[in-house]
Amino acid sequence: MYSAMATLISSSSFSPAEITMSTGTLYTYPENFRAYKALIAAQYSGAKVKVADNFLFGKTNKSEPFLKKFPSGKVPAFETADGKYLTESNAIAFFLANEELRGGKCPFVQAQVQQWASFADTEILPASCALVFPLLGILPQEKNVAKVKQDVEVVLQQLNKKLLDVTYLVGERITLADIIVFCTLLHLYENVLEPNARRDYVNLNRWFLTILNQPQVKAVLKDFKLCEKALVYDPKKYAEFVAKNQNQKPKEEKKPKEKKEAPKKEVEELDAADEALALEPKSKDPFDAMPKGTFNFDDFKRVYSNEDEAKSIPYFFEKFDAENYSIWFGEYKYNNELSKVFMSCNLITGMFQRLDKMRKQAFASVCLFGDDNNSTISGVWVWRGQDLAFTLSPDWQIDYEVYDWKKLDAKSEETKKLVTQYFSWTGTDKDGRKFNQGKIFK
Amino acid sequence: MCDVATVQKIANCLGVAPGKIQLNEEQVVTRTGAQNKTVSGFATILESLARESKSETAQNSIVTKEVQAQVYQWIEFAVLYVAPGSKDKHVSKQLLADFNKLFISKSYLVGHFITLADLAVYYAISELVKSLSPLDKENYLNLSRWFDHLQQRPEIHQGEPMLNFTTIYLHNWATGTHI
Repeated sequence: MYSAMATLISSSSFSPAEITMSTGTLYTYPENFRAYKALIAAQYSGAKVKVADNFLFGKTNKSEPFLKKFPSGKVPAFETADGKYLTESNAIAFFLANEELRGGKCPFVQAQVQQWASFADTEILPASCALVFPLLGILPQEKNVAKVKQDVEVVLQQLNKKLLDVTYLVGERITLADIIVFCTLLHLYENVLEPNARRDYVNLNRWFLTILNQPQVKAVLKDFKLCEKALVYDPKKYAEFVAKNQNQKPKEEKKPKEKKEAPKKEVEELDAADEALALEPKSKDPFDAMPKGTFNFDDFKRVYSNEDEAKSIPYFFEKFDAENYSIWFGEYKYNNELSKVFMSCNLITGMFQRLDKMRKQAFASVCLFGDDNNSTISGVWVWRGQDLAFTLSPDWQIDYEVYDWKKLDAKSEETKKLVTQYFSWTGTDKDGRKFNQGKIFK
Repeated sequence: MCDVATVQKIANCLGVAPGKIQLNEEQVVTRTGAQNKTVSGFATILESLARESKSETAQNSIVTKEVQAQVYQWIEFAVLYVAPGSKDKHVSKQLLADFNKLFISKSYLVGHFITLADLAVYYAISELVKSLSPLDKENYLNLSRWFDHLQQRPEIHQGEPMLNFTTIYLHNWATGTHI
């Protein structure tokens, strides 16, 4: 039950009173950037925070006992060990922080921290939501997209300018100002700021990466990835989202209508967006639907990278779980069109890149045989599940059709030979072309 | 740079008793610490100090083997190139430009936190930075940011007069030209 507790950071200094004070339970849906503020602050201070398990967004926070404690019904919400209640993420983060994060003893510095917290909420967040939420399909697209983009650029430019000659936003140490602004920028860096788009914000990028890589931050954001390719608006997504919401909550159907007429419209829409974020875990892994089995890709990849094939290949067969995983042979369909070796290699690595999200549950060794103008591409693939994995996600369907796929019988000697050949980068293709180069997908 | 005073300063930073620091007959800096153990050579002494220290900087410098090795590289670089090079008019310009470029994308030299590498380079380059005119500093805004960040820590400036970087205002008139 206490698995989600933020652990003590050994060297940080805090008074014993503070430990007993800042212990409690945080209510939130997973991957909530607002809750991250509190969790990161707790990592720094050593405050013990339990994340409420079994929290169901839209249910738990609309339930009577919850509303009794937190009348707004919003998350994150925090309940101290001695039964006091806090809402609003910045306040919770402040409570869970230590003195250094709050800006030290000087009221002016503390005020500077507050200044950035407000900046995050009033300048960054509205601009960011207006841009990102339609892309996630949880708000309709604004008519004036150029204006929305410009609003974001203005804010990012301001931050970039500020960070040219300071390392952190306030003083010379990380404070809540950094943590709050950082968390508020997460949506942008995850979904919109692809390498080209963030190129102009060198100082902001430097600062963002510095914060992202602090051990205390990493402990909370375990696998955050910077945007590779910006999301594109897809009206279908939003339509699906609306339909889904109506199906799921017939009871509340009336409510949004009333709300829309109310003057608080904007606030309520943000709330709905929050709800959507909770409903739709962004990084959902299509492999999650399949049983996990006993084969551990990470372990195998480590052995494969660090040990000789003489060890790693027997290791593979020893650990391989044929019930839940499968081995495939993929052969390029248009080998006679291959010309230069380096171009063929780019073909392989390009495919690997587009399959990035598959990496965790797959492994492959794809080899090029032969020379310029006389070569073939083929590879051995391993992934979770028994069926062709590429059909699981629309993101993975760009390349797979140019290959012929054959499922291999994991127990046969023939497969063993093939796997050994491809994993150790030896041998020839079926027409006798010599091995030229191999690429590993891991 | 690999002199007695710098070692003492770094020992102070790390909150470690420096012991006896002196130059031996071969003019190599040596440290005689607790139990009369003697180590010589700048990088080795820094390593021995780090091992005795509980400070954040020392702890950061030894988190992983990779970090340790990178820190060591920078200490060597500070001794071999930064300190001597900063006395030469042409080399020093190149040094400043290189460091400035490096600090565009990094807050610290190694990893994402302060390490001994920062201290070694800081003390190796501080005379040179001190000699820069405000207009010169304009050309090295990223280096200046890093330097200013370090000097604000009391354990690093150790009572020395602080260099003024607040004159950096010209970039407001011509942003984007300072890379």
